[in-house]
Amino acid sequence: MSTEDRYQRRWCWDRVTWGTHCVNCLATCPYRVFTLGDTVAFEEQGGTIEAVAEGVPDLNPLGCQKGSAWSVQLTSEDRVLHPLRRVGERGGGQWEQITWEEALTEVADAMLDTIDEDGVESIVFEESVEGGLLSQAPFLRLAGLLGAITLDANGLVNDLPTGHHITFGKFSCASTVDDTFRSELLLQWHSNPAYTSIPYHHFISEARYRGATVVAIAPDYNASAVSSDMFVPVRPGTDAALALSMCEVVLSEGLADLEFASTQTDLPLLVRTDTGRFLRERDIRSGGAEDHFFLWDEGNGIHDAPRATLRLEGLKPALRGRWPVQLADGSTVEVTTVLSLLEERLADYVPERAEELCGVAASTIRTLARMVAGHRCKILEGFNTPKYYHGDLMERSMCLLLGLTGNWGRPGTGIQGLALAGLDGYFLFPMKTKKGVEETARLLEGIEQAVETMRERDPEATDEMLGNQLLALSASSGTSAPPVFFNYHHAGYRETWNRAEWSDPTMKRTFDAYLSDAVRRGWWGGVARPGAATEPRVLFSVGTNPLRRARGGRAKLLSNLWPKLDKVVVVDFRMSTTALHADLILPSAMQYERVNVQYPITHTLRLSFSDAATPPRGESRTEWQIFSALAKRLSERAVERDLLEYVDGRRQTRHLDRLGDDFVVGGDFASEEVVLDEWVRDSADAGTLPVGSSVETLRRDGSIRFTGLGIFAPGLSVAADVSPTDVMTAFGWHVDKGLPFPTLTRRAQFYIDHPWFVEADEHLPRHKEPPRMGGDWPLLMTSGHSRWTVHSISMGNRPLLGTHRGRPLVVMSEQDAVECAVREGDQVRVVNDHGAFEAMARVTPRVRPGQLIVYNGFEPHMFPRWEGTNEVEPGMVKWLHLVGKYGHLRYLPFGWQPVPADRAVFVRLERVEAV
Amino acid sequence: MFTYSLTGLEIKSAADGPEEVEENETTARSAVYQVLGAFFSAPDRDHFDRAGQGLWTKELTEAASLLPFPLEVGELTLASDVDPESYSAEYARLFGAGCSEALQIGAEDRDDVEAKLRREYEYFGLAVSTDRRAADDLCTECDFMQYLAFREAATGSDRLRASYRKAQRDFLERHLLSWVPDMVAAATALGPNAVYSWGLDRLDTFLRSDLDYVTAQLDG
Repeated sequence: MSTEDRYQRRWCWDRVTWGTHCVNCLATCPYRVFTLGDTVAFEEQGGTIEAVAEGVPDLNPLGCQKGSAWSVQLTSEDRVLHPLRRVGERGGGQWEQITWEEALTEVADAMLDTIDEDGVESIVFEESVEGGLLSQAPFLRLAGLLGAITLDANGLVNDLPTGHHITFGKFSCASTVDDTFRSELLLQWHSNPAYTSIPYHHFISEARYRGATVVAIAPDYNASAVSSDMFVPVRPGTDAALALSMCEVVLSEGLADLEFASTQTDLPLLVRTDTGRFLRERDIRSGGAEDHFFLWDEGNGIHDAPRATLRLEGLKPALRGRWPVQLADGSTVEVTTVLSLLEERLADYVPERAEELCGVAASTIRTLARMVAGHRCKILEGFNTPKYYHGDLMERSMCLLLGLTGNWGRPGTGIQGLALAGLDGYFLFPMKTKKGVEETARLLEGIEQAVETMRERDPEATDEMLGNQLLALSASSGTSAPPVFFNYHHAGYRETWNRAEWSDPTMKRTFDAYLSDAVRRGWWGGVARPGAATEPRVLFSVGTNPLRRARGGRAKLLSNLWPKLDKVVVVDFRMSTTALHADLILPSAMQYERVNVQYPITHTLRLSFSDAATPPRGESRTEWQIFSALAKRLSERAVERDLLEYVDGRRQTRHLDRLGDDFVVGGDFASEEVVLDEWVRDSADAGTLPVGSSVETLRRDGSIRFTGLGIFAPGLSVAADVSPTDVMTAFGWHVDKGLPFPTLTRRAQFYIDHPWFVEADEHLPRHKEPPRMGGDWPLLMTSGHSRWTVHSISMGNRPLLGTHRGRPLVVMSEQDAVECAVREGDQVRVVNDHGAFEAMARVTPRVRPGQLIVYNGFEPHMFPRWEGTNEVEPGMVKWLHLVGKYGHLRYLPFGWQPVPADRAVFVRLERVEAV
Repeated sequence: MFTYSLTGLEIKSAADGPEEVEENETTARSAVYQVLGAFFSAPDRDHFDRAGQGLWTKELTEAASLLPFPLEVGELTLASDVDPESYSAEYARLFGAGCSEALQIGAEDRDDVEAKLRREYEYFGLAVSTDRRAADDLCTECDFMQYLAFREAATGSDRLRASYRKAQRDFLERHLLSWVPDMVAAATALGPNAVYSWGLDRLDTFLRSDLDYVTAQLDG
């Protein structure tokens, strides 16, 4: 064969399908997948998405080098193609190939033993968004049918900005990404979109072409700073100080949009100066409500703050001042406004003082503040702040800056974090007892009825608030559990979290004391599972990789959690670090080998489809096949063992003999394609996808734009109109329609009068230095996503490994390199009081002295002794996030809960002497 | 009282609601689909006799009497020289093996088209009768519309009523009106006899009017 023939054959195909990658970047870019026979020849970006609004660029081409190299991974060396059983010690690397029948029987027996001996809550699944909805739904379904535990995904990965939740009652602030184009000022803050948002990055350039100013605020001169108009180097972990200083400038220079702040935020609400608590109705009226607040009307004095709307309806609230108020018992107290208290606090952040804290020149702070106040400003925020111990304070401060300058709910404004698009069919699916539209209508009507019943109790509540109430109710009967309790009781974190020297110094009691107090007060009632006495025995990791990911490290899990487990079951397509330590590995089909969709998000507001371009390789199976077969095997073995029913942790009787049938609803949902078709049709019926949508329309078009936000809280929380001819701006309902926020005060809430927040002096946003997590060492280790991989997914992809050094790197400054006697390419050891790892030094002038960057994603097995970067991360949890049952601060699945920090740990570095 | 009568589809999952309802505008639409579905099935002796006795026009007139939009039923005269054999032969000449969506749109893989339709039917609790007609047969598609309109009339749920209406509009747009007008044009070009000329014209007119009506209902 000639070279020319070989080249041409490389680009031959006989079939084209749509594909997307259903990995945790969530971009789900539609690709054309070109197949020759049973082999994917190549893929390319689809580029078929039409522009939505006139004058606004389209989303095309959507894609990146990782998606464009996906097909290579179908045949990569780390692929698992057969069911494998461990032989010898865990992690010993010895495996035997077994049949599916053997594998499923072994798993089923381990589960039945556990149910019989310790109860079903000893069976634990890790939630994730890895692998797409059709990877997640099957095991969530099995866990739901069994009454087992699923560890809440956000509690594992801390992707969602806690500070957004504290402020807005939700984390969903993200507009469609084309709204970026309409901004006049883009702040790339705690984000590096040139690395992590490659498919969307063109909107930043396009906004710049039309005159927007792009600012990079980061400690290091990162790839996004290169193409920015202004680079603001901030000391790591001090972003709250910078933001608050900008707020101080905005207020002191009279640049604030106080009308916006008066309507949207709690700044005009009254606070008692004697207690620091909001003035509540029950304070001044006998039998008054606890969640009813007041403002001071310039014309008429004290006045009820409207609850049903953000609109002031003729009121002119005073924003500053102090007034006497008579209480119900006849006594008099002084009240003031949140803004007055805020201004007192902001006095600590005048630019000259803030410069000392955050390292940004006072003149730069003033310039930046004036820019924000005078422009439509959007903060492009990634998933970085939630990973800081005090990330919530940074987020609250950023939100405050936007709230003072009228920068949300309007074109080109807001915080571009993450928001899920409400695929109603997916949310309905677990409730369906049969296929079809009749069942859908029955369920939707039931939900509507429940919402209306709740509305009778609170006629002023919005659909979003009632949706949250429903979600909270379902949480107390569902499988999802915040992992903080699991990790505390069973995974060895208790001792770590009690190390006061690694925690916030304002913490007055031990972590133990706060946790037991929170539990005793019932703040986590019904979801603090499994309890201390219920040890885990079977752990499922489906596409997750806890030994790489867990903040706290592989060693902690292996020494504390693993010994308790009878069976570690990994379902994955590749040999991850967790798979290497499993008892059984069940091989799953990859994208391009099965149908799938990923969690849709509002960035694109589209549902993209991944088709089965080829059959699954080896003996790999889809998760639907795996878990439906496991459900069937469980039923069969249960009958053989005469274990037909049991009572779960919530006193509900479960029937094992029916499990197999229940899983597929008597055969109605025999395959993932049928399941997906049902989700899509139900979503269309509910109004979130175009009428007539089905798997076939997805298969034809590759990607479908949403037509609505749906009826469930995750979708509604974006609070915006979806138009087929317009960009979607998050929070439009709050600004344009005056719909209240789902917070305690029904306003964007910057003042949290919970006693614990007062104790921590975090009742208002403030700056706190990152705790000395890991010990008192000179270097601060940060991280971020690289441009080469989404987490560790592409760490076995040869072309992608070839685009970087293919091995773990520690990126450090030249100055630190000199001080540590390290040269480029040296092997270095990063050490602190929690652990250590070794990697190669990358010395660069773009990193500031005192900072080390280790990009996320390297598998521990790529490091010596398999000690990855998480060995130096204690995984500290901020005690304040144990607060519950305070208005909006209550557990919601994939929402408010304590999350582990993994950024800004303190380390030292030394060169590893050559052996 | 009115009830549906399916010939190409069967109930797989029984719907809630009565199986008979008072006649009204919606059952009239259902009834017209019932008549048109029967008319375009492969003719047998009974079909021929009904044409000769003027029963097709009578049935369509009765079915259409409560329609919310006008439908000119007109006259149908079976020529005296037409016998049952030539009557059947005319159907075969015009439609070949039958009026099928896949054949009309030139689909390479008819199984694909049928599979899509089967899923559509299943979502509404129906299955194709395996021993009768193809899923993409005109009569089956008319059966489906007949059933959706009936369920719209029978349900007590506003939400479900809207679902059935949306489904009808979608099915008319994506299926029936995406191929029937071309089929009608192609058959008309072949110079059909008076019976089929009448039927084709009624079919085409009714589908367009029905789409307009359903759309107006939904948008209104």
